[in-house]
Amino acid sequence: MPVPIVTFSDERLPNGLRLIIAEDHLVPVAAINLWYGVGSKHEQPGKTGFAHLFEHVMFEGSAHVGKAEHMALVQAAGGVMNGSTWLDRTNYYETMPSHQVELAIWLEADRMGTLLDALSQENLDNQREVVKNEKRQSYDNRPYGSWSERMFGALFPESHPYHHPTIGSMEDLDAASLEDVSSFFRLHYAPNNAVITIVGDVESARIRTWVARYFGGIPANPNLPVKLPDLSLPATLGGEIREIVPDRVPLPRLFWGFRAPAYGDPRLDALDLAGQILAGGKGSRLHRRLVRDERLAQDVALFSMGFTGGASVTAGWATARPGTDLELLEAVFWEELERITREPISPDELERARALTEADELGALMRVDERADRLSMYATLFDDPDLINRMLPRYLSVTAEDIRRVSADVFRADNRVVLTYLPAGAAELEPAAA
Amino acid sequence: MTDAGAAIGAATVIAERPTHGEPRPYHFPVVDRQRLANGLTVIAVDLPGRELVTASLLLPAGAADERDDEGGLTTLMARALSEGTQRHDAIALVEATERLGASLHAEAGWDALSVGVDVPVARLGPALDLVAEVMAEPTFPATEVQRLREERLNDLLQARADPRRRADEGFVDTIYAAGSPYRRPAAGLRETVERLDAAAAADIHGRRFDPAAMTLIVGGDLTGMDVMELAHARFGSWMASPTAESRRAIDAESAVSERFVRVFHRPGSVQTEIRIGHVGVSRHIEDFHALSVMSAILGGLFNSRLNRKLREEKGYTYGASAGYELRRAAGPFAARAAVNTEVTVPATIDMLAELNSIRDAEVEPAERHAARDFLVGVFPLRFETPPAVVGAIAGLVVHDLPIDELVRYRSAIEAVSISDIQAAAISHIRPDAAAIVLVGDADAFLAALEGADLGRIVVEREDAEPAAGR
Repeated sequence: MPVPIVTFSDERLPNGLRLIIAEDHLVPVAAINLWYGVGSKHEQPGKTGFAHLFEHVMFEGSAHVGKAEHMALVQAAGGVMNGSTWLDRTNYYETMPSHQVELAIWLEADRMGTLLDALSQENLDNQREVVKNEKRQSYDNRPYGSWSERMFGALFPESHPYHHPTIGSMEDLDAASLEDVSSFFRLHYAPNNAVITIVGDVESARIRTWVARYFGGIPANPNLPVKLPDLSLPATLGGEIREIVPDRVPLPRLFWGFRAPAYGDPRLDALDLAGQILAGGKGSRLHRRLVRDERLAQDVALFSMGFTGGASVTAGWATARPGTDLELLEAVFWEELERITREPISPDELERARALTEADELGALMRVDERADRLSMYATLFDDPDLINRMLPRYLSVTAEDIRRVSADVFRADNRVVLTYLPAGAAELEPAAA
Repeated sequence: MTDAGAAIGAATVIAERPTHGEPRPYHFPVVDRQRLANGLTVIAVDLPGRELVTASLLLPAGAADERDDEGGLTTLMARALSEGTQRHDAIALVEATERLGASLHAEAGWDALSVGVDVPVARLGPALDLVAEVMAEPTFPATEVQRLREERLNDLLQARADPRRRADEGFVDTIYAAGSPYRRPAAGLRETVERLDAAAAADIHGRRFDPAAMTLIVGGDLTGMDVMELAHARFGSWMASPTAESRRAIDAESAVSERFVRVFHRPGSVQTEIRIGHVGVSRHIEDFHALSVMSAILGGLFNSRLNRKLREEKGYTYGASAGYELRRAAGPFAARAAVNTEVTVPATIDMLAELNSIRDAEVEPAERHAARDFLVGVFPLRFETPPAVVGAIAGLVVHDLPIDELVRYRSAIEAVSISDIQAAAISHIRPDAAAIVLVGDADAFLAALEGADLGRIVVEREDAEPAAGR
């Protein structure tokens, strides 16, 4: 099937802001997606959680926008919006009816240019409490909720910025002063550290006029780009790390984590297909064997998360059925991972994995918000927005031998973290963090 | 990495807010509805440029139509549909689907069961073959049905340990009277699920299978496609099963007559999950549009009264919301939040206050505008892709609503007045007969709760974690 090509323009304002526009007039909607090249890897020890804190503070007002008025204006215009933070980057985005795009551009410019004019101790304190409740809700009060923090903590050494969770340490957030937070903003949230992509039912000439008008007066920060320390890592952990975690859970669950090739390395494409073949749906190898045939597990997962700073992460889990022998569960899971490192996958398996990847890609690229997100992502992380058109061909060119080889590099006993969550009564649990 | 570097100049931004441009008119896509000779309805929606097509074969009877002793059977049966057919076993079915680059899903909800597929348009025919096979020829292999039943029982164990799911289950168990299907989750509870088997799945499949009740909805770029012909070739010869039944009347009776508090004790919990509410309304109420605007103001928008108060003013929660689940009969109405344990009682009081104040006084004109402009403005965004369009039409079919319901939606929302909003709040929110369900560390807030005079308090201290595993 022909995969549609996303045509786009790519330019920079004099202040360094990168502007990408892709017109598509199918539906009268448009997506605005602004990526900042700042993530939790840019945080300093003792000052963690700042990039994510801004995901909250950015909605608390700027010189010409009141507290929470960003949401009010976007929603009253019939739009939706949000933000997200991850290890390598942060983004802010709106999807609007197409006649309301100018408003979203203005809102993004106002907060990039003048956020600190409106940042008060009161708003900072309020959002710090909201973030603490986000952490309680998403991690502390959720079964198995600590797994990702433990996994990243084990896969990356303490000296590496991927070691600490994106939501940060609550102690660091408590200790953060208005000045700490402000200087983080001044450094990173500048036009020469941002990519704004607009996709949808728009006219490129008008977008250029608006972006120049609203962002043009925001100065570049000459201290950018930030020089990060060398983030490279040995390709493997160099030994197995195991941890047993008593938790308030009814069923044991085993989590596996591996260091994997950095994002952008074609070997990670092959590893994505390995994840599809091993755990993507009911026909996958792990699901068939553990859930369907041997009935040791309630569910299984295996997927990769791409990061640019030295190594990516491949992670997976299996939830034990009541009465399952955990050693057996682990042995069978491992047997399937080892098998894919030795025997080439069959042509039919590869064909199915390719067909599914193609359909997933088509489905995702239907939406203007996803296209805008990917153009900004590829521009921010790889200086190459055209990857949006080359990723699918890359996936389709992966061979059985590529999959076998990267699996052999990654699924090694000396490259794995194994977390075993076991049911425990409340009394055995560690006291919750203050 | 602080301010040691070079100075940055001052930013100049434009203070004046832009006004919006000329809206490009948006109309809900044109829907073509026809019937096959056996009564099966076929709805085709042409969405030019959408090469990934969504097709859904809908059977409008669901978990709400189950007898009390078979709770969860519709969901189990739906999950088992793709576990084997007269022509393929489960793995062969999955592999055939994947070769088409398609995803096939059979699922059940309160009011319907569906078999759907997303597939590149060129392979729609073969994908519909699989849909037909799964809907009409399932074999329900006994060991696979048994496995699916056990997975549901294990999932129920997991739900007990998850405070959010515990609160949702505890809430409906509290507000509905015994005998209402809505008192349980749609996928059922242990007492009934553990008795379900392949014979029961085959039995309910027979009671549901009637082409005259089914609707096929296809959305995507249908240029040059004859959807009626595709449907006729695959579904045209179907006949109703001899045991086919019509939908049941649904009991949605309330168990609550005056406000009370039910606490599920979860020792050491760092947050309390709060649900406040009661039996709500059916999708068929007269004032649906006024209710939509009212609930957006109360707990739907980011700047809703609940979120503004609990998150943006108090910092008690990551998010507070409220809303109605609109089903064929009266689904639940709940205000919801997860708050840090120490503020459980003040947060509960604040939430109740918001339920009262939206009844006691008219909303501000600005609140009405915000909700109206959002609901009207976001309309085109809701229907960007085939799955969204097909899903919206399925909603109309399930509720027997006219196909122009969505066409008149925006003008109906615009017509909602401030007094309509207050009338909807007065009719559909009952703070004095609301159940307050709290899942959290009762020892940490019970004294404060007793002092707050919110109503009778019942505390359930049984351990929320039955022993399982090893």
